Amino acid sequence: MAKFILNGKPMTADVESDTPLLWVIRDELDMTGTKFGCGIGTCGACTVHVGGRATRSCITPISSVEGAEITTIEGLSEKGDHPLQISWQKLQVPQCGYCQSGQIMQAAALLKDIPEPSDKDIDAVMGGNLCRCMTYVRIRSAIHEAANAIKESNDEQTA
Amino acid sequence: MSRLPKRGSAGITRRGFLIAMTAVGVSFGFPRHLMAAMDPASPDGKVLPSEGDIYEPSLWYSIDTAGKIKVNIMRSEMGQHVGTAIARILADELEASWDDIEIIHVDSDPRWGYMVTGGSWSISQSWPVYRQAGAAGRTALIEAAAKKWGIAAKDCKASNGKIISTKGELSYGELVTMGLTRQFTEEELKTLPLKPNADLKLVGQQVTSLDIANKTNGKTIFGIDAKVDGMVYANPILPPTRYGSKVVKFDDSAAKAVKGYQQTIVLDDASGSVPGWLMVIASSFNAAQKASKLVKVTWDAGKTANVSEADIIAHGQKLLGDQTKGSILDTGNADTEPAFASAKSTIAEEYITSTVLHAQMEPLNALVFKNQDGIWEVHSGCQWQSLTLPVLATALGEEEANIVIRSYMLGGGFGRRLNGDYTIPAALTSKALGGKPVKMVMMRPQDMLFDSARSASVQQLKMAFDDKKAVTAMEHHATAGWPTQVLAPGFMPKGTNGEPYDPFSIAGADHWYTVGAQKVRAVSNDLAIATFRPGWLRSVGPGWTGWAVESFMDEAAHHAGKDPLQFRLDMLIAEGRNAGSTPVAEGGAARQAAVLKKAAEMIGWGTPQAKDTALGIASTFGQERDMPTWVSCAVQVHVDKSNGIVNVQKLYIAIDAGIIVDPNGAEAQCQGAALWGLSMALYEGTELLNGQYKDSNFDTYTPLRLGQTPDVKIEFIPSKMPPSGLGEPAVTPVAPAIANAIYQAVGVRLRKIPMKPSDVKSALTKA
Amino acid sequence: MLKRIVYGVCGAAIVGLGIFSIYAWHPAIDPVEPTQTDYSPHVIEQGKVLAAAGYCSTCHTPPGGTAYAGNYEMHTDFGTIYSSNITPDVETGIGSWSQAAFARAMRTGVSRDGHHLLPAFPYEHFNKMTDDDINAIYAYIMTSVPAVNQAKKDNGIPFPLNIRWFQAGWKLLFADTQPFEINSQQSAEWNRGAYLAEGIAHCGACHTPRNALGGEKYAQMYQGAAIDGWIAPSLTSTSTSPLPWRAQDFYEYLTTGNSPYHGSAAGPMAPVMHKGLSALPDSDIEAISGYFAEIAGTNNTDEPDSSSTLQAAIAAQDQQPDQRIDQGARLYATACQACHYNSDQLVKGRPLITIGSATHLNDPSNLINVILDGVRSDQGISGVVMPGFRDALNDDDITAIAAYLRQAAGENTWPKLQQKVGEIRNQPRFEH
Repeated sequence: MAKFILNGKPMTADVESDTPLLWVIRDELDMTGTKFGCGIGTCGACTVHVGGRATRSCITPISSVEGAEITTIEGLSEKGDHPLQISWQKLQVPQCGYCQSGQIMQAAALLKDIPEPSDKDIDAVMGGNLCRCMTYVRIRSAIHEAANAIKESNDEQTA
Repeated sequence: MSRLPKRGSAGITRRGFLIAMTAVGVSFGFPRHLMAAMDPASPDGKVLPSEGDIYEPSLWYSIDTAGKIKVNIMRSEMGQHVGTAIARILADELEASWDDIEIIHVDSDPRWGYMVTGGSWSISQSWPVYRQAGAAGRTALIEAAAKKWGIAAKDCKASNGKIISTKGELSYGELVTMGLTRQFTEEELKTLPLKPNADLKLVGQQVTSLDIANKTNGKTIFGIDAKVDGMVYANPILPPTRYGSKVVKFDDSAAKAVKGYQQTIVLDDASGSVPGWLMVIASSFNAAQKASKLVKVTWDAGKTANVSEADIIAHGQKLLGDQTKGSILDTGNADTEPAFASAKSTIAEEYITSTVLHAQMEPLNALVFKNQDGIWEVHSGCQWQSLTLPVLATALGEEEANIVIRSYMLGGGFGRRLNGDYTIPAALTSKALGGKPVKMVMMRPQDMLFDSARSASVQQLKMAFDDKKAVTAMEHHATAGWPTQVLAPGFMPKGTNGEPYDPFSIAGADHWYTVGAQKVRAVSNDLAIATFRPGWLRSVGPGWTGWAVESFMDEAAHHAGKDPLQFRLDMLIAEGRNAGSTPVAEGGAARQAAVLKKAAEMIGWGTPQAKDTALGIASTFGQERDMPTWVSCAVQVHVDKSNGIVNVQKLYIAIDAGIIVDPNGAEAQCQGAALWGLSMALYEGTELLNGQYKDSNFDTYTPLRLGQTPDVKIEFIPSKMPPSGLGEPAVTPVAPAIANAIYQAVGVRLRKIPMKPSDVKSALTKA
Repeated sequence: MLKRIVYGVCGAAIVGLGIFSIYAWHPAIDPVEPTQTDYSPHVIEQGKVLAAAGYCSTCHTPPGGTAYAGNYEMHTDFGTIYSSNITPDVETGIGSWSQAAFARAMRTGVSRDGHHLLPAFPYEHFNKMTDDDINAIYAYIMTSVPAVNQAKKDNGIPFPLNIRWFQAGWKLLFADTQPFEINSQQSAEWNRGAYLAEGIAHCGACHTPRNALGGEKYAQMYQGAAIDGWIAPSLTSTSTSPLPWRAQDFYEYLTTGNSPYHGSAAGPMAPVMHKGLSALPDSDIEAISGYFAEIAGTNNTDEPDSSSTLQAAIAAQDQQPDQRIDQGARLYATACQACHYNSDQLVKGRPLITIGSATHLNDPSNLINVILDGVRSDQGISGVVMPGFRDALNDDDITAIAAYLRQAAGENTWPKLQQKVGEIRNQPRFEH
């Protein structure tokens, strides 16, 4: 019986220990916001946070996240209003939208580590997230937009 | 299909000669116990219930007593925000408030007419239909208000969801509550007065597409997310060849050790979609895919088990060498022989494109079952319901009327989901289990192996010049595997020699340049068709004919000693058959010249460039002569001679698609399409290897990544022309623009895409 | 003449054997009734901490099994061995062992019944402990560890190495029987660190190279060794890590499971840290850290963030072949870089692989192991994981990535890398 914390709630799943976290989330727990794209960690559609860090859930066996805190796109914010989600909507980033959960989760982790990323930083950290609609121009802009929004709200708070 | 009994009086429709029929039962709050992507903006995809009775002035929408408007969209949503754009057209004509609009992506049903989403047709085809529909509602509402007020209809005005007159205001909801019954015949619809385009308030303005929000919070429901109680999971085992392989035996003893494994069955397919397939069934997806790797299968392999890319190309060259093969297109004057016989000089080149995979992010999947009313429900994202339903009917041995394809958001179409063959194995498996729900999800390697790839192509072009180096004739001979021949032969027109041709495998060759006599010949590559199932891939024929035409135009310009831009402009003469005709093509070659000039201006054509850096330009008419979208691409490219790496620094697109309904969505489509063009030019491509594509996942199949994205600019030429298409056109001029720039930068001409660094390097070495 | 020599030699041998036998033979110590009284809670608590610090459960617990019940499988150069049941079970464990028997085992590697224990049990290290500490562990085990009836599996050591009597010879030759000695030239804190590291924590048991017969080479203490398919790197100035280990780096590593400048506690080191040393009070971890910093010879005032070595490693990320022409670069960019990239400052949780120890060891095992099997939430940084690519990438791909990283780290190529990747993929996995 696997035990972990999902979006702040303790969860259990009665699955084989080598079941990838992705399928536990999607099929056992019915949370389909996290997507399946390649199964080998090269496309990023399955990105969730484990311990706050971006992780490819399609190649993470459930046994390796025993007791860990997992965040999916559904839990990134309470009202879908993480600064990235806001900038993603403002700039109308998603096209088909299938890769976007992974993109947003990866970008959220990026901004935690590198709050004011350069284009080079964005290229490197987002390079594992494939977008077949190729909405890359807007992904990049939206990350900058969100970074600025976060900075401004921090400045306001400290002012 | 089961329905709730109809209730109420307002807006109840009758079958028969009237256009308006009851909208699909969902607008009555049809119980949807399944997750189905109907309203992409609602929290769970479920259509919101209508308040009170509804009025349906047309098949295409209803208005309820709260004034909420549900717009029926029969196009599939795959990122082009088609529902929003279509609803804008309607809302504008209807004079509705945008806040009252909800969009519903409908399930398959004959009432919606021919259901297909592709060809960049949606807006262009929807434009007249929804304008008429909106006008119908506006007319009916004005009439009702006028009657209520006892005044003339001409003294009433529709605006923002209300009818206004000196007598006051009546909202659409209030009017519906009072009861509306006005219906319109087909003929009446066609003669309704439409708003002057200059008065359009929503069309052309910024809007946030209705599907966007849920795509940022994980709520959007794609086919792969479909679920129903009691379903089993299935994972297929694919044969060594696309066709002709037969299962001899299989041994699932190792699979039995997998917890959750149930059984393996050999599919019996009357439709011929999935010959040689087996399906592994289990209680979880993980168990199904684990088990399927452990089942040992022996096939009698089909005949194409040894066909590789070189064979396809060689066969194509052989076909082109036989002048009796293929179909000749009507280009006005195809008699090129005299010009070539008397030419002062000629040039001839061959261009090749590699096999390209769709690799849409959502792997192919389908959930199929027979519901309690005896209807087969197919839950999967689909771009061409009307093409898929007959195949499902054959496979299931059922009438089409007993099959419904439920609507879902698509995690990428790009033409893969035009070919609905991936629904067949799920249907067959469900049938084998007596109609039990079967959810088939393909692993990425299976999705790639089962792709209907864009066939490799071979094209041979030649041009005749007179003593002043003016162009006197041109020929374009092209061969590839024809998707339309395989999947929709009814769509193939006949050439001037009576032979059918696949328009999606030659469009683009019938360009708008005035070249004198122009011969265009299209040949079907039967070896390609025997080896795999060629597919329509974003930009279809123009994506690769454009590669040849626009590379060749530069080569011709160099031969003629002219600047490539000027060379083209000199031949874009809007006269005769190149003048273009209404509705969409009006303006013809002049509009292509305009986008060329615009792109040249954007990139700074003619300005000096840094070392090993150059500009390149190209232009096409997008998709079809009947529905041209004029597009030009200008690039700034640097070539690193030490390793052959081509760095596209700037990728600028100028585009004329007539009236742009949704500017933001249009820009997004052009950005994505242009990057697809870049990806196919430099980064992605596969090869057939022993009957299969050699790449099976993103470790070796390498579409463009974020870090490889250049500075992209899109500019629309303002236009009052009716809208043409935008999903695909911007793909088409990118690769040749890059090849043209490479030539200018370092003097090598590449004639095959993708242009890999090793190709550049070896060309440099030879030079 | 020859006869006399032969007789002489034989005689000496017989005498020698006799003396040796006297040396090798140990009497059995009488079994006792297990008693749980007489121990103060303070002593029991101390024993618990020490048992943790010695991560006894790591070697004495099978994967998925009950703590201390033994049968943990160890693959040694001499064959497969299984650890003993050290729960207080009377029949299969040490329930009938007196305190004296326990102490004898801990100090000299002799079981209650007199047979020699294999040197896989690092008794030479435990011999350095004080009587109080050893007794405290005894008290903890006897009072607080649940008894588990589980017979030990037979070892798979081939004849004649399995003759316990020979262990005595081994001990004679190799065992360090010296008790712990205070080094008066070092501080009290250093000595505390030394006492713990050389004693209960038995760091040298993994980190000190061994001779052909498996004895620790004390002259090369802490200079690194292979263990369980991984490499325990050198902790001395012979370390190949680009940045030196300061006391604060050891401290960070031993408390969080990761040092951003060196790497994460994965493989066999994970339970040492997470299930072991983490039980020790901060002051003890600081003491151990100070001890090793001194051994490593580092100047604690060096600031790695501003070091040119680190800046060069960060800059090197950008100076590698383009992913369009290098398979390793391409795979790294699509599968690894999202998590491993660092901007101008290192971020904990974004391991910069080329600055860490794994790419600078002569042996690629650590890097390959981590690529194959990742790092679980109870390894490295707690609650954070790296997925493994064992089923996602083939040997070709992993070789390409490893070679790319090795080159990016500025080191010479690893020889026979592809072969090594295949071997590591197929070796028994360290499961703990």
